[in-house]
Amino acid sequence: MLLRASGEMTGLAVDPTAVVDGAAAAASGVPHAPVLVRFAEAMVGEDDAALADARAALASELGPERLVDAAAVASNFERMVRIADGTGIPLDIPVAVLASDVRTTLGLDRFASAARTPAVGMAGRAIAAVLGPVLRGVLRGVGRIRGTRAKAN
Amino acid sequence: MPPDYTAASVPVRNDLTAAHQRAWERLRRPGTWWTGAERVAIAGAVRAAWRCALCRERKAALSPNAVAGRHDGEAALPDAAVEAVHRLTTDPGRLSEQWLAGLRAAGLSDGHYVELIGVVATVVSSDSFCRGLGVPPHPLPAPLPGEPSRYRPAQARPEGAWVPMIAAREATGAEEGLFGGGQTGNVIRALSLVPDEVRQLRDLSAAHYLTERQMIDLAAGRSLSRAQMELVAGRVSALRECFY
Repeated sequence: MLLRASGEMTGLAVDPTAVVDGAAAAASGVPHAPVLVRFAEAMVGEDDAALADARAALASELGPERLVDAAAVASNFERMVRIADGTGIPLDIPVAVLASDVRTTLGLDRFASAARTPAVGMAGRAIAAVLGPVLRGVLRGVGRIRGTRAKAN
Repeated sequence: MPPDYTAASVPVRNDLTAAHQRAWERLRRPGTWWTGAERVAIAGAVRAAWRCALCRERKAALSPNAVAGRHDGEAALPDAAVEAVHRLTTDPGRLSEQWLAGLRAAGLSDGHYVELIGVVATVVSSDSFCRGLGVPPHPLPAPLPGEPSRYRPAQARPEGAWVPMIAAREATGAEEGLFGGGQTGNVIRALSLVPDEVRQLRDLSAAHYLTERQMIDLAAGRSLSRAQMELVAGRVSALRECFY
């Protein structure tokens, strides 16, 4: 949801499929997504040679500062998934409601950890259907006002 | 020797280095439920888990419960703690409340378990960052003597997770400002049975990712744009099969 929302805020038409399918990175709408996704996948994988290649590719395409930030973000979420899955927290209700369409589209409900979050009922889906486009419009508007849209990166 | 990145082939932000140094200093001190020696032993078990034959066999199995055996590595911790460290490290996406009930039955208290998660998450994160940059993991620190505080916040109670948590509105008294003020997400509250682990989480997250204030600003980024950061975050989370 944050990927899509940050895209709205900065004027990007983001397709979040790359979150579950790295091969879709090029079509994600996120600048330099293929090299970032390749690096993220190598960070989680156990092949050190593949990680070295991915690291070199990222540094070559985006530079050392962004390599460090990508490693920092990836390792941050290696921490967060263990906290979330170790404590058995459910999704926060507003997120569960507003991101229900993304979860369905991406097939995230197949994860074992999805069972911790109650299914969004008809009322929740109706709220999401109404509020989702409104919130996206608000984000686009705020992005325009703040001049963050289409930020080059 | 405190963590440093002078051997890295790329310059590392000073705030990241400083956050990792603080994390390593906290790691070796007595915690809330574990001694300094036990906290460092938990860190050592994290590293042993990646080479553990039982963990590899379980990871490959349709169900981790289908494979019995003993974990590799030193036995400086109770068996239930070793099991918790290894599963949290190598297969976090398939943990269950029933599995946690087994750990409780074996004598692992909620407080011990929550602090253990905090230590595991810190070490996994630090080691992952090092690996990402192609530098060796930091040597584990020498533990400091002393007894754990055994502090349990009275406000922590069942809130829909497997462990008690503090509600955002009840972060008062000694826990004033624990969540940075105002509402917060479940993932920030998750470790609040052991408030110092929330403080550790916030400190590291502010350097690795964003501060809470930046998190709610959807245009906030670093050298990477926010969308690029969220793409990396989302891909890692999906590969670990984390729904949250």
